[in-house]
Amino acid sequence: MTPYPDLMVFWAVCISWSALFLTAVSIYLYLDSRKSRRQGAHFNRFGFLRDFVFVWVLLGLLGLYIVSIDRGSSIVFASGNVVVEALLIAYTVKNRPREEQEIEKRKRASENAMRIHVGKTP
Amino acid sequence: MTPGGWDTTLSKQRTQDLRTDYWSIRPTDAYAVLGTTEQGLSEQEARHRIRKYGYNELPEKGFRWVQVLLRQFKNPVSGILFASAIVAGFFGQAEQSIVIVAMILLATILGFYNEYKAEKTVQALRQSVSLKAVVTREGRPLEIKARLVVPGDVVSVYVGDVVPADMRIVQCKDLQINEAVLTGESFPVEKTSDSLDLQQPTPQQLTNHLFMGTVVQHGSGRGVVFATGRHTEFGSISTSLAESRPETEFQRGVKKYGTMLISLTMALVIGIFALNTVVGHPIIGSLLFSLAVAVGLVPELMPAIVTISLSQGARVMAKKQVVVKRLVSIEDFGNMDALCTDKTGTLTDGKIVLKDYWSLGGARDPRILHYALLCNTAVAGDKITGNPMDVAIWEFAIAAGIQEQIKSYASVDEVPFDYQRRMMSTVVRKNGELTLITKGAPESVLSRCKYAEMAGKTAPIGSVQEQIDIRTTDYSGAGYRSIAVAFRKIDARNSYSVEDESNLTLLGFLIFTDPPKKDAQQAVAQLNKMGVDVKILTGDNELVAVKICEDLKIPVKTVIRGSDLTQMSSSEIRSAVEEATIFARITPEQKLDVIKSLRANGHVVGFMGDGVNDAPALHEADVGISVESAVDVSKGAADIVLLEKDLSVLADGIEEGRKIFGNTMKYILMGTSSNFGNMFSAAAASLFLPFLPMLPMQILFMNLLYDVSNMTLPSDNVDEEYTKWPRRWDIGFVRKFTLFFGPFSSLYDFLTYGIMLFIFGASASLFQSGWFVESFWTEVLVIFVIRTRRIPFITSRPGKWLTVLTLSAVAFGTILPFTILGDFLGFTPLPAHYWVLLILMVATYLLLVDAGKVFFYKICKF
Repeated sequence: MTPYPDLMVFWAVCISWSALFLTAVSIYLYLDSRKSRRQGAHFNRFGFLRDFVFVWVLLGLLGLYIVSIDRGSSIVFASGNVVVEALLIAYTVKNRPREEQEIEKRKRASENAMRIHVGKTP
Repeated sequence: MTPGGWDTTLSKQRTQDLRTDYWSIRPTDAYAVLGTTEQGLSEQEARHRIRKYGYNELPEKGFRWVQVLLRQFKNPVSGILFASAIVAGFFGQAEQSIVIVAMILLATILGFYNEYKAEKTVQALRQSVSLKAVVTREGRPLEIKARLVVPGDVVSVYVGDVVPADMRIVQCKDLQINEAVLTGESFPVEKTSDSLDLQQPTPQQLTNHLFMGTVVQHGSGRGVVFATGRHTEFGSISTSLAESRPETEFQRGVKKYGTMLISLTMALVIGIFALNTVVGHPIIGSLLFSLAVAVGLVPELMPAIVTISLSQGARVMAKKQVVVKRLVSIEDFGNMDALCTDKTGTLTDGKIVLKDYWSLGGARDPRILHYALLCNTAVAGDKITGNPMDVAIWEFAIAAGIQEQIKSYASVDEVPFDYQRRMMSTVVRKNGELTLITKGAPESVLSRCKYAEMAGKTAPIGSVQEQIDIRTTDYSGAGYRSIAVAFRKIDARNSYSVEDESNLTLLGFLIFTDPPKKDAQQAVAQLNKMGVDVKILTGDNELVAVKICEDLKIPVKTVIRGSDLTQMSSSEIRSAVEEATIFARITPEQKLDVIKSLRANGHVVGFMGDGVNDAPALHEADVGISVESAVDVSKGAADIVLLEKDLSVLADGIEEGRKIFGNTMKYILMGTSSNFGNMFSAAAASLFLPFLPMLPMQILFMNLLYDVSNMTLPSDNVDEEYTKWPRRWDIGFVRKFTLFFGPFSSLYDFLTYGIMLFIFGASASLFQSGWFVESFWTEVLVIFVIRTRRIPFITSRPGKWLTVLTLSAVAFGTILPFTILGDFLGFTPLPAHYWVLLILMVATYLLLVDAGKVFFYKICKF
């Protein structure tokens, strides 16, 4: 039995507050960036959902953390983290900046060219 | 007025005595007025005058170690730390006070050491230049150091000499002076000893004066010194530079950042203190805790990290032949988006060459070149010296191997060049026949021609005038300078004069140019690719400047002349400078206006120049760039000195500046956001926990450890795409970054609280230990995510030393609770089970921040 049962609510409020604050900041920044883009830009609902993937993950994590801590279950906590980590890795790899991908492509091409050149050298 | 020259009247500081009108007195009277004779001063009198007037040198802004040391404290971060140390000490928390003072000392020593070393390098560069002068003292010519020349000294100057002080000419022969260092005009000015009847003359009108720093191009002369050191024209420009420099964009950015930090810190300190007191925590304990949180929020090593970044960059740049004199300018060097540059010697070789010669009818008559060689005042020895155009003719002839062909001519007489006639003549004999050859400005020579040779036949000049006009206009429009060559057969006589320069037959023209540098085109293209807009500010005419731009393939949007600028209001200038590529025939004051307007429009402006007339602009720009061969005053005013007058090294320097800026921003962004998150969660926890979430000493120690782990950040790798474009200090971006990334850290801090309280049922000490380790891990490891926009480690590798030091710091923080030091700080060893949860939690945190980073950079551009 935890010696701090009365703190659970305070704790849940604090952690929820920080996650919700982050969500609110994300929405604010997103709307702010749309405002500064050209007027009349088409609003894409699917794009909005996709752009906010990390927020959905964040809110999912919040649920996981509150449930696992409330139950005092390290297993739920650990397995939930592993699943989320896999999801986040997939998201990050898929959403690499275009510029970075181009540079990588260029690098690979020059490495290939070098390999071909070296291969031709007697 | 000479293009690009002074447009001011004589400087008030010019004279050290009461008289200022030395131009109006006779040469012989100059001796008496200045208390000397033709025999010069006595050594005793010279010593007396040195004591009275001082050394003939320009005031140099030396540096003292005390100033360098004091500079380390001139930032808001030090202020916050000092205040915290004093308050902690006042309430008897000596340990807390000592840790804060240790942080201040660490930052100060690092900053001082690096800045002092950089200043020393620059001083050594300055001292490598020492000039000599030939003076007559007690009737004997002596070579002395130029700094020992005093008013009243009789100084002799010869071809190639740098004039050591301002002088009234008392005697001269064919004396021509290059005053480009003062005026920007590369063509020499003829000097005489005749007195002048002028009221309030401009310095350019003073043809019987020699000015310090100008160069003898032709002939020789003697003068009596009337002003030395800072009292000279050269000195008066240099003195104006003693005024404090405007802040660079980087300095302004740091200041704004400091203000933001102070506001945030003050709000947190007051808020935490008030809330803790309200919920019934002890007042002094609450105050000390809130102070520790404030210190935790302050990136105390920021000044040191910035200085280390800058001095490391300075060392790298020195290897690339770029000496950084003012460290703070490196960041602006990288962020520069407008480079204003002088034309002569920067985009061009700074040396006049003979490009071609032509005669009417299309054929290139070799006699044009022969006659130009015969009617020539250059002295061809081991080195060819004299008027730059005459030198260019000789160099062309030697390269073409035709100098031997004039040996059959014997020189008979010469009618020297003067600026009224703008031409010279020589009489030569070949096979007993005398020929008068005249060479000079086309309009002057043509006015004395009666005939012109065309395809071997002689025709009246009027019949070919149109053809001549078209071709000379074409050449002039293409930015070339022309000289006409004419001749006539002449009878033998005792002497010849200007009256003989009539009824001439035009033979042809010589075409001169100051060619663009070989690597200039590539360098300008590279600068443009890097997002730097190159603008040309020249005292020369617009046609020459346009031609250079065409040669270098610099697209010219608009050309603005100095006379246009004088007609414009400041708002019109501000809008005009955006479009203009070339500013021609502008004065030093107008160069300043252009730079000020560009800065007012929000550009980070670099200015590259090497003459005295460039010094004020070098001083005003965010980044003043000069070259090693420049005059001292220019080098003194510059922030960056190129050891080679080569634009391509600029691109290397800019790239280095961008890397330094990138690494500095990493520290600021990371420090502010993770510190903000940690301190915010500490503040929240202090309200609901029955004990402090972390003791003040623990917060300070973590902060110190964190800062040490960041010491190698300046050596970190910077992604290629980061250096592609100039970046700007954007405090709005820093604020957004803090607001966005701060809560990530808070979220995981709260999660740790939950684990410690509800899974481990932790005591105060265990709680503090658990949070210390988690907080430290997340705070330090997040650098690998934040340092790049790419995938950490996979597509962007961190610097070797950053990896080693960061991981070492993590290892130290991990074992700390198990050590004696940990025990002293109040930590308890953590259970094994906690480490498993911690690893999973921190891994999720880092991946979540990385995913957040993808989102953030998609919507926030920087």
